Amino acid sequence: MTASASAAQVRKADRRVGRRTAAGEAHRLLPRPLLVIITVFLCALVVVPLAYILLASLNSDVGVAGGEFWPSTFSGASYARIWTTADLSTGLVNSLIVCASVAVASAALGTVTAYVLVRYTFVGRVTILRALVGLQSIPGTLMLLPVFVLFSSAGNYLGITVIGTRWGLFIAYLTFALPFSTWVMVTYLRGLPRELEEAGRVDGASTLVVLFRIIVPLSLPAIVVSGIFAFLLGWNDVLFASVLTQPETRTAAVALQVFGTTQEAGALPVYSQMMAAALVCAAPVVLLYLVFQRYLVGGLTAGGVK
Amino acid sequence: MSLRTMRAVMALAGATLLTTALAACGGSGDGGSGGGGKTLRVFIGANTQYPTQQQAWEKSIGDQFKTQTGATIQWETFASGSEELTKIQTSVVSGTGPDVYAIGTTFTPTAYATKAFVTLGDAEWQKIGGKDKFIQSSLGISGPDPQHQIGIPWVARPFVMIYNTELLKAAGITKPATTWDELTQQAKQLTKPGQYGLAVAYKDNFDPWKFIWGMATQAGDPIVDGKTARITDPAVKKAYQTYFGWVTTDKVVDPAAVGWTNPQALAAFAKGKTGYFALTSTTAANTLDASAVKGKWAFTLLPTVPPGATSRPAGGVEAASILSGDNLVVADYSKNKDLALQYVKLVTDGPAQLDMYKIFGQLPQNAASAQSLTSDPKLAPIVEAQNKSVSTPFTGAWADIQLALTNTVVQSIPDLAGGSVPDAKLDSLLAAAQKTAQSSLDRAK
Amino acid sequence: MIDDRPRGAPGEPAVPAAGGDEPAGRRRGVSEQHRPLWLLAPGGLLMTVVIGIPLLLAVYIALVDLDQYTLRRWLQAPFIGVQNFVEAFQSGLLHSIWISVSFAVIATAATAPVGIAAAIVTQNAYRGRAWVRAAFLIPYVLPSFVVASVWRTMLQPDGIVNALLAKMGVTGGLWLSGPKAYWTLILVEIWAAWPFVYLMALAGLQSVDNEVHEAAAIDGASWWPKLRRVILPHLRGPVLLACLLGTLNHINNFTLPYVLFGVPAPDNVNVMPMMVYVTSFQSLRFGLSAAMAIVSLLLIAIPLFVYLRALRLDVHEEGGRR
Repeated sequence: MTASASAAQVRKADRRVGRRTAAGEAHRLLPRPLLVIITVFLCALVVVPLAYILLASLNSDVGVAGGEFWPSTFSGASYARIWTTADLSTGLVNSLIVCASVAVASAALGTVTAYVLVRYTFVGRVTILRALVGLQSIPGTLMLLPVFVLFSSAGNYLGITVIGTRWGLFIAYLTFALPFSTWVMVTYLRGLPRELEEAGRVDGASTLVVLFRIIVPLSLPAIVVSGIFAFLLGWNDVLFASVLTQPETRTAAVALQVFGTTQEAGALPVYSQMMAAALVCAAPVVLLYLVFQRYLVGGLTAGGVK
Repeated sequence: MSLRTMRAVMALAGATLLTTALAACGGSGDGGSGGGGKTLRVFIGANTQYPTQQQAWEKSIGDQFKTQTGATIQWETFASGSEELTKIQTSVVSGTGPDVYAIGTTFTPTAYATKAFVTLGDAEWQKIGGKDKFIQSSLGISGPDPQHQIGIPWVARPFVMIYNTELLKAAGITKPATTWDELTQQAKQLTKPGQYGLAVAYKDNFDPWKFIWGMATQAGDPIVDGKTARITDPAVKKAYQTYFGWVTTDKVVDPAAVGWTNPQALAAFAKGKTGYFALTSTTAANTLDASAVKGKWAFTLLPTVPPGATSRPAGGVEAASILSGDNLVVADYSKNKDLALQYVKLVTDGPAQLDMYKIFGQLPQNAASAQSLTSDPKLAPIVEAQNKSVSTPFTGAWADIQLALTNTVVQSIPDLAGGSVPDAKLDSLLAAAQKTAQSSLDRAK
Repeated sequence: MIDDRPRGAPGEPAVPAAGGDEPAGRRRGVSEQHRPLWLLAPGGLLMTVVIGIPLLLAVYIALVDLDQYTLRRWLQAPFIGVQNFVEAFQSGLLHSIWISVSFAVIATAATAPVGIAAAIVTQNAYRGRAWVRAAFLIPYVLPSFVVASVWRTMLQPDGIVNALLAKMGVTGGLWLSGPKAYWTLILVEIWAAWPFVYLMALAGLQSVDNEVHEAAAIDGASWWPKLRRVILPHLRGPVLLACLLGTLNHINNFTLPYVLFGVPAPDNVNVMPMMVYVTSFQSLRFGLSAAMAIVSLLLIAIPLFVYLRALRLDVHEEGGRR
């Protein structure tokens, strides 16, 4: 796929261009003033709302409701209040547990499946590959319905409560995390040279050994990326979580959304707390991005879907 | 080797995570709080008027319950009618969810239709203190008939109007309005620069449909006639036109009211520059007594004569209010039914009921507690409203119908903000609501 | 088993070998011997159970009269064939489809130039570019529900947007209901989604060889003709791909309208995911909503099909590139 091939060259190209700044005139794409204008405009587009969010979270509820951009008084009170008013801690913990489990399971199974798909040929291989891509685009609402019906039946007929447990959410998230992780691994494993594996085989190693001793260490970055993407898919989800959770298994997304609608019906707007809560919910994701930036950028274009 | 250690660390981390997930999978409420005690799940409406007080109340009840039974209470709240309905439906369908629901009385028929709530027999009534403990008329919305009751009356909120005694006196109005036309008239008299005649909460999720129901029922259209929905009847259209007219044509309402919820409308009235507050109950008392209008406000009945008439037509019902309040229902799927009934007993006994009145202004349904309060002369209109309360139709489809009536207002908000709701638009919205209501009625089994 | 497939340095995904129609006798990097197909079992089994069964069940539900009354015994729910589909179209599904598609197309059309512009301005190195690049990605990286919650707060009638507009003498009015709601949805989606096009365009720009730049410089081409005739055509592939995927994601986006507007949503933002959600979890008409969901699947099947074919096309186009 062009995008992934090209994106992975980003790092390489960066170095190339950096070394040739003197000769970079030939590479200039836009006249400087235009460049500056567009860059400033785009940065403002992104940074101004973000700055407001941050500032509002450090303001008081009354101040934000009064329409202040720059707070008249800075206070961290909102950050303290959200833990009780929005029950954010439960939400964050649940999100962490479910998403981390999904990440681990997805990455592990995805790697194994991708390895077979990439290295061996068999009937239906291409169909499976195409299906992996297609499955990522299935509307969530289409999957939620039968999942809900199945889980309810498990509760009604077999007496196994699934709805409202973290297990239920875990299984539901695997629905879209698995194809995605597998696909990311497929894209990556394609580029892995075969010499090392062949060397291993010549030495008489079995497939499993090859897999665990050679492939996995080599593709750790990709495994981490596919795990992180699975984590992100779960973290961002609102659809499944809104239906399949109870208050104690609520994820951060649902906690934030419920907080918003409940507070809006009240007499006093709590905008500052909303902003603070939103930032807290976004923090793990932004952190992951900052740490794994290089890999994620490549993976984003490889996977192609958020 | 570093690779190996890294792999080992990752494997270990992964295993720990999965085990944590495994161990923490119990979300269904028994023994969830890491002790010997059980957990009772209670579903109640979020009190947006008194949020901090509600949290304090939850804690206090939770402590009392724990002392009594050793079980902890886990609270879940809803903030809108659709949330309420969705929760009831999904829990019933999936067989898991809250053990006790405190639902609006108007939703009791819908809950009944799901056949998923405990029908209260003699044993159950006994466990909560006996049927005679309650105000008998409130049992009218507990079930379709006395043999099939699921709802235990918890609190009542008969709806009334509040008026500013000073402003009315200054305008020369001696008696508050008793017909809707008179109300509009008086509101016009009370409207002058810096002052409005009427405060209405157009954006509230629970208020608007009550006006429509009231006006229509008073005109003889009960909205649901057997198995037919009568939303496209002229009485309903007139009701919407009157309701919208206050802000569009009569201009007796602050234009900002288009975005007000009930607490916000109350806050506006509490500033002292509004004549009437159109739909409220005793829940407003605490807020008003802490505001600028302390000592200057009084309750009065909502008008009981439909708009466009000077007296009730034949077939019109003197409906001063819906049979309003909350009923407690116990889920059939609950594994803690006895605990649930103990909770019901706790909150319907005298002390807890009086607390509900003192803190939140919700009237007790405990007959003895209610009796002790009626001596207060200020509450005379409330008592009258309670006596003249009429129950909304008892059909499983009512929740959908109520939401359809509310949705008509929601879809009209932009036009209200713009200054007028075109007739054609109102007609098409009503036709859509009629369709939804009728199809819901058709499917109600 | 000589591997003659072109490949790059370790760690970089090379041109994918899975074209599907490998010429017979020249297996490009895949082997037919010692196939441990059993390794497919865990992942494959899980995917079948967790994805395949629900999909089949969804089709079954759509053909059956399933609502809260018949759910308890759903295996015996009455079979009503295409009635659900008929009823779906009569209950405003077409309107919903129109809103979804127009929303997706407009959002995609608007994000494309923004993304391309962003890629072009960050192509050349300068001090602080890393910061700019990081900033550009933030709207995309933020969780969707955070973006929606935050914009919902900002767009309240008494929120900051109206306050700032008032300072400039413009009345903001209602953003979250009424005629502006549709445009609010589009604008917020554009704000959150343009970095994706930017990423893909950036990747495309990086693949432009130095010789091309130098040739254009020698020819004395000034920036606009160079941009138009030389650079932009290189971006066509990646950007088209981004647009395709973007459209798919826009159509399927549930989180943004749900958190931004709540339920019931104003009529003009009743996109398909919202409609399916309300029909299933408020009215509990499962059969009807399954029919609607399947229609939405068919709707995205069109761009999806194009995308799947495009995957192959790109392979052949870029085949000899390196």
